[in-house]
Amino acid sequence: MPEPAPRARLKLRRPPPPREWPWAKWLIVGTVLSYLGVLVLWPLLAVLRGAFAEGLGPFAMVFTDPVVLRAFGLTVGIALIAVTVNGVFGLIIAWVLVRDSFPGRALLNGVIDLPFVVSPVIVGYMVLLLFGRDGWLTPLANALGTRVAFALPGMVLATVFVTLPFVTRELMPVLREIGTEGEDAAGTLGAGGWTVFRRITLPGVRWGLAYGLVLTLARALGEFGAVLVAGGAVTGRTETATLFIYRSLDERHYTEAYAAAVTLGAVSFAILFGMELVRRRRDASR
Amino acid sequence: MSIQLDGLNKRFADFAAVDDVSLEILDGELFVLLGPSGSGKSTVLRIIAGLIQPDAGRVRLHGRDVTRLPPQARNVGMVFQNYSLFRHMTVGENIEFGLEVRRVARPARRARRDELLELIDMAGLGDRYPAQLSGGQMQRVAVARALAFDPSVLLLDEPFGALDVRIRSQLRRSLKRIQRHMAVTTVLVTHDQDEAFELADRIGVIDHGRLLEVGSPEQLYRRPRTEFVARFLGNAVLLNGRLDAGVVRLGALELGRAGGLDEEGDSDSGVAVMLRPEDLAVASRREALDAPTMGPALVRAVEFRGALARLEVDLEPPPGVRSLDADFGAAAIPIEVVMLPSELERDPVRAGARAWLGVRAYHVLPRTVRQVQLCVHEAFQQRALAGVLRRMGEMENLALRVLGLGDTAERASEQLERARAAAPPGRRWDFEARVGADWLDESLRDLPRGNVDLVVTQAEAPDVADRLARLAPIPVLILKGARASMERALLCTAAGEPGKLDVVVGARLVRRLRARATLLHVVRASGEPAAASDLVLRHLEMGANTLRGQGIDCDTKVRHGDVVSEILAEATAGEYDLIVVGGHLAGGRRGEAERDLAALVAAAADRSVLVVRGPLP
Repeated sequence: MPEPAPRARLKLRRPPPPREWPWAKWLIVGTVLSYLGVLVLWPLLAVLRGAFAEGLGPFAMVFTDPVVLRAFGLTVGIALIAVTVNGVFGLIIAWVLVRDSFPGRALLNGVIDLPFVVSPVIVGYMVLLLFGRDGWLTPLANALGTRVAFALPGMVLATVFVTLPFVTRELMPVLREIGTEGEDAAGTLGAGGWTVFRRITLPGVRWGLAYGLVLTLARALGEFGAVLVAGGAVTGRTETATLFIYRSLDERHYTEAYAAAVTLGAVSFAILFGMELVRRRRDASR
Repeated sequence: MSIQLDGLNKRFADFAAVDDVSLEILDGELFVLLGPSGSGKSTVLRIIAGLIQPDAGRVRLHGRDVTRLPPQARNVGMVFQNYSLFRHMTVGENIEFGLEVRRVARPARRARRDELLELIDMAGLGDRYPAQLSGGQMQRVAVARALAFDPSVLLLDEPFGALDVRIRSQLRRSLKRIQRHMAVTTVLVTHDQDEAFELADRIGVIDHGRLLEVGSPEQLYRRPRTEFVARFLGNAVLLNGRLDAGVVRLGALELGRAGGLDEEGDSDSGVAVMLRPEDLAVASRREALDAPTMGPALVRAVEFRGALARLEVDLEPPPGVRSLDADFGAAAIPIEVVMLPSELERDPVRAGARAWLGVRAYHVLPRTVRQVQLCVHEAFQQRALAGVLRRMGEMENLALRVLGLGDTAERASEQLERARAAAPPGRRWDFEARVGADWLDESLRDLPRGNVDLVVTQAEAPDVADRLARLAPIPVLILKGARASMERALLCTAAGEPGKLDVVVGARLVRRLRARATLLHVVRASGEPAAASDLVLRHLEMGANTLRGQGIDCDTKVRHGDVVSEILAEATAGEYDLIVVGGHLAGGRRGEAERDLAALVAAAADRSVLVVRGPLP
């Protein structure tokens, strides 16, 4: 048995006492508050002031105007279609990316994020390239008897594309985290594929899915560039709420613009609030 | 017969997870599959459940072949390692799930649920959610859920693994009670031998995907047939004994006639002698021993444990005796002894004292057979081939697989015939032709897991030796040069501690070659502080002790300078026949690219090199 080595004594010094900067905390908090104030609160107040400068009158005027109603209806309609389509396909894409392995998976995984980096204006332009005059797919659309470019289908297509990643990106980590053991367990208990999906998988990812859908909805409601280019912003036909606000400002109808902006803003605020609730449920269910 | 497994095989990417497992489990039996982690036991369970498809083999449940059926159609209850309770359902809904998908009417479901809640001592807790339960409760709910629909068998995957040690034994009893009550055939997978002992009617020990032994707990503990089972179940020291005309000998000590060992006709063959702690006795005087004397030992510790006393002693290896588990750093054999406190009271033995070790009982089992793969290719010189085959013919407990390698079937079988002709008669070795463009790739294919202990081939060209040294995932002996003798071996350690693996694996080969060993450490000329040399000397001495404990004549040497060139210089100066280097021997000063020193030595040496890599077998 070899002797243990004699241990050299380390020279130890007391660690320096922590330095106290009581004002540093308030400096940081103050910076954050003023930054957000300038960036968020100030413009918000300006819009509110503009909207209510003439009382509630403009609101009544705006929401009896068929053009405005049409614009808001269009926005909500497109957003709901985008939420539905991306809810279904986002779930399928996330499933495939997490659970299956196939050649080109990494590539597909990268492609999913494309809508995040491509400017919406370019997305609208792509729709025109495909479905505009002399577009590659125009003959197909004509054969089906529909118009895509400068019409609702084109705007839906552009919005769906722009909002594609939200559901998938929200669901992928959740799917990865719940794993397959619950599904395997349900399988050994005798449940078939559809039952397993309906009773085990879907409830397992429901809050992640809900969060993804809310993000999709918020993004679709606020979309501007893609629907502008793909739809052409024809008043009363392909003009969405954001496009209406832009035109009103352009034509110096400030009160109408502010009123519409406040309405859209209120919807966004409600969504933000709902999002926070869903996010808490989602985090709690993990 | 409730469960019949027949020749199950399952390979994952690069290893055999399940290797030819056949097993029959009786009605109502609680069968425990026991093995270390990664041994493939959970894979077997998942194959029974239908969650994994075997590559080959059949699964029969109550006589019905279910091999190709999905889990849904097998009527198997499974409890997963993390229980996998459905978190969005209540305890009651979880338990009822299996009945619900079988369309059992609600009142019947309710009744069954309440009955099971009662059985698992959780009556009235059916409305809780899994998140509100303790770990032990979740486990019991998982068991109840798996039993609700009267499955034909119950499968449990490490059901106590995620639980607090304190509540485990209580839950084990509860599980056993439930299992007996339901009389359901059960397979439980675990790595915990206490669990296996407490629960099992029978145990199957699995390692590297192979089912090694099946038997009652007592049978496997008292009379194992493999070294692995002897070590894995309980404490045991395994010594090299000899079986001489039916009489077991440990060195000069004659233990008696071998019982239980299959007489394989060898009149004089090596066997393993297993000594459990309770098989041994320690006494202060030789005359006081009531058992055959093994030899003098140093008592290192004495612990009083109530019903028993536990002693740790170091046995001076008697001439010709060595431990089959080389313990790094010491020549003495560490042994655990368990005695009755009353025995120690009569003859007190204290820590630090010299005492005598006696053998009251023993068990003899065959030695583990080492698997060697000899790769014969075109450039393998006939003289070297004949030499290596003759040498291996003299070695005991060695199974040789000869690979004939060539780029066409014709050339491969040509190589094989050449080896067959040179092989000594009377050994049953495997011969296999393997066709491939690159003989080196073919040699190393299928190696990673447990099947082969050593690869042997010849490679004179530096680039080939370099590739072999870098790519072999297990120890590889690269034959080089024209020397016929294998009498002197140089074991190299450098750049840090001498690797335990290199010394242990190197020792195994050196001992079989009956060679002498020199343990060499190269201190880098610059950079290494002088204070390190004390440490180096101590480590060298420990390595040398390990070798001496294995009965190898060994000395030590220290050189200063560049690691590779000093190793090669010493090899030439000392006329060594074999250089042993560890594969982890990577070096290079800060900022330099890391060099694989083992590969450099293998490439540059003009004599045989053993490169040691991989997990300790």
